[in-house]
Amino acid sequence: MTPKRFRPKNYRRTLTYLAAGILIAAVTLYLALPILALIIRMSPDMFFDTLHNPEVISALWLSLFTTVISLAVVILVGTPFAYYHSRYSYPGKVIVDTLIDLPLVLPPAVAGVALLVLYGRVGLLGRYFNMLGISLAFTTLAVIMAQIFVASPFYLRQAKSLFEQLDPAYEQTARTLGASSLRTMTLVTLPMTAGGLVSGAVMTFGRALGEFGATIMFAGNLPGVTQTMPLAVYVGMESNVTVGLTISILLVIISFTIMIAVRLIQMREENRA
Amino acid sequence: MKEPLTPSKLALISMIFGLLLVSALLAGCTQSTTNTPVSTAATTAPVTEVPTPVVTATTAVPTTVMPTATPAPTYTATEGNLVAYTAASLSGASTSIGPSFTMAYPNHKVIFNLDGTQALKTQVENGAYADVFISASNSYTNTLKSEGYFDNTTVKTLTTNYIIVILPASNTANIKSLADLAKPGVKIAMEAATVPAGTATMAVLNNSANSTYGQAWKNSVISNVVTYETSEPAVATKVSLGEVDAGFVYQSTATAAAKGTYQSITIPKKDNYLQTYTIGILRQSTNKAIAADFEQFMLSSAGQQILTQYGFTAP
Repeated sequence: MTPKRFRPKNYRRTLTYLAAGILIAAVTLYLALPILALIIRMSPDMFFDTLHNPEVISALWLSLFTTVISLAVVILVGTPFAYYHSRYSYPGKVIVDTLIDLPLVLPPAVAGVALLVLYGRVGLLGRYFNMLGISLAFTTLAVIMAQIFVASPFYLRQAKSLFEQLDPAYEQTARTLGASSLRTMTLVTLPMTAGGLVSGAVMTFGRALGEFGATIMFAGNLPGVTQTMPLAVYVGMESNVTVGLTISILLVIISFTIMIAVRLIQMREENRA
Repeated sequence: MKEPLTPSKLALISMIFGLLLVSALLAGCTQSTTNTPVSTAATTAPVTEVPTPVVTATTAVPTTVMPTATPAPTYTATEGNLVAYTAASLSGASTSIGPSFTMAYPNHKVIFNLDGTQALKTQVENGAYADVFISASNSYTNTLKSEGYFDNTTVKTLTTNYIIVILPASNTANIKSLADLAKPGVKIAMEAATVPAGTATMAVLNNSANSTYGQAWKNSVISNVVTYETSEPAVATKVSLGEVDAGFVYQSTATAAAKGTYQSITIPKKDNYLQTYTIGILRQSTNKAIAADFEQFMLSSAGQQILTQYGFTAP
């Protein structure tokens, strides 16, 4: 806090700080201003009033319901899958690795069309489901399937790399001490990777919640059945802008909560390490 | 990265941050006080004439020379790209309109932005640039007129369209009449209420229920709806893929489709809803002359012929 340090001892260094400051500010504002504008546009009264709108409520519940199920499926299937995938080498492992990453770069609308021509009523597999009286497209199940397809890579990638990095010596020790493989999994492997797995799961949740393209293609847009929050934003902006803005702000709040959760988990992990 | 964060550094960074934030907030506040669409539309109209595409700059030379030679303005020599915001139900027709317009007016080109009228309206209200706006709904046209986006004298009736029910060619649900749409298990696609075709479909359902089929029929039909699509062609696609058993679309869609794409069930005129399409030039247009040419072309017999060919009903 000595005033001496404030004097520009080095002209060049000050310039560097200035440039760095402007750059940081520019990037921060570019990312933060749109969110700020969204919140400024809505008065809190309007926001809380619109929260009671049945369209908003049904979209919110549908989104939460489908996302929680998608996440549960991804965790229950994805965790053992990622474990075996990382522990064993098998022919075609590279292909599986690529497929896991594919939904990250595939446009969601393409994913939706692909799901429709596979599971749709006249689709490659869908026609057989249809014979059994099972229809998938345009149902809540389709919403969940689209979310799983698009969002699972976030969890799978994370789980895969965690299991790859975990030293097998820990598990081997547990096994030599007489623990069953299930016991080893629940008492050694999972606790040692829990932090990373949770942050992967949170990212998957966030991506599934924001799913739009694949959902509107494969599941359609029916309020209460397949109209999730992002779809309600799209429809809302064309009719009742307040509804569109309210749901947008809700999604911003949820996204921020997700990011803060991930940050907290990461900080705790770093402290432990 | 390892450098310690000295107070001088902190002070600098926070100063810049504070300044930018304050200016951003100020910008935000001033913007929110003047966000009435009417005033912005009115004020931006003359201003946007500055960043006119280079096209007008190059054409300015011949047009300033031309009046001395020929007082009557002829646009055949000018060049220009026209942006036409066009109702999605004109998607098929637009593929013919574009080349025909260029043929009739050499060097003129029209670029279509095709989407549900409600989406196009939202885009224009949020500052999108367009020269011509073709709306599939009188009520949206009137809203845009009253909000000051249209050059109101240029708004004309373009064409009309009726609602029809289309079925996939296979018709696995064995639908033979409008009454069959209420059968349990039938999957129907229609447009969201915000889409003009959705409004028209609702009117058709109400009219048919009142005249012939009754409220129970209407309720069953609505409970058979599996998706409310955001544009009229999206409904047609879901039917052509065979993913739904029936869809409410415009007659033009059924007429223009390749033979064998759909089966269709017509709705009696007395219960039908005549959708009126309008064409108009937007106030912000910087290509008003070409826009007027385009409107004239659309209303001429050549333009109307294309529309009739694509199943639209002349007004």
